[in-house]
Amino acid sequence: MTPASLKVGSEWRTAPREMTRERMRWYVDAQPTVAADNGRIQTQEPTIHDDDDYARKQGLPGIIADGMISTNWIMGLLLDTFGPDFARRGRLRTKYIAPIYEDQVVISCARVAAVEPAEDGATAYRLEVWCEDDSGKKLTVGEAVTYSKV
Amino acid sequence: MAVGGYTSDLERGDVLGPLTYTLSPFVVREYCHAVELHQDYFQGTHGQIMPPTLIHLDKLRLYRHACPRGTGPHARVHVEYDATFHDAVHVGDRLRVGGTVSDRYEKRGRDYVHIDMQLTRVSDGKLLIAYRDTVIVSYQGSNA
Repeated sequence: MTPASLKVGSEWRTAPREMTRERMRWYVDAQPTVAADNGRIQTQEPTIHDDDDYARKQGLPGIIADGMISTNWIMGLLLDTFGPDFARRGRLRTKYIAPIYEDQVVISCARVAAVEPAEDGATAYRLEVWCEDDSGKKLTVGEAVTYSKV
Repeated sequence: MAVGGYTSDLERGDVLGPLTYTLSPFVVREYCHAVELHQDYFQGTHGQIMPPTLIHLDKLRLYRHACPRGTGPHARVHVEYDATFHDAVHVGDRLRVGGTVSDRYEKRGRDYVHIDMQLTRVSDGKLLIAYRDTVIVSYQGSNA
């Protein structure tokens, strides 16, 4: 999929990925690691994303994924299509409408809502973006705007 | 003003930061590794830039500074990410991040908090990323 091939209604998606316990924990550990910024991996207190007992005490049936994982997986889909220009100029909004549980399958998707001329001779792509499970149930929804000089 | 306590105490109008820091290659690589963004412009050694999603961890940076007592008695649940990217953020850039609690309201028994943040480049004051974060504070699941 390349920007030049996209038209209103074009839809594309990632391969399915399972939201494993490890994927949830990688994001949990990234938070104190980024905060410390000392070249070492850090860990933190139990969260609803990596500790079943703590999650149940918070009223959940078990651990759930941090929403930013699905946001980043959508971002990855768009970066693979539009390249690093999307990290330089654009917009991404994601809303987490259903929890993502351990081992649930997640597929990141995008659909072109509009293609418009933008300043600097670029083309603006207005996209509907979402994550769904393997039954088609939407888990995360949102929109994006990206710019490309094609 | 409710800074100085728990994040669950934050009120509309509370100001978080600003804080300054230098973006390191380690931070970008570790974050991108964790969220499986394996592109060279994030994980390589030349021309590294920051994924705009990383600004969400700047919110945690502001929380630690403004709310040293932590999350509070119950979990905080992220509801929405909404960011506009104005220019690339490069590794090595000196950055300033600040935010304001722009709203706090109750809906269906849950407390929602919006924080509007700006990430700017210290050298010229250019706005690089504007971010609105929405969370439920003191999440208590179906017991709420």
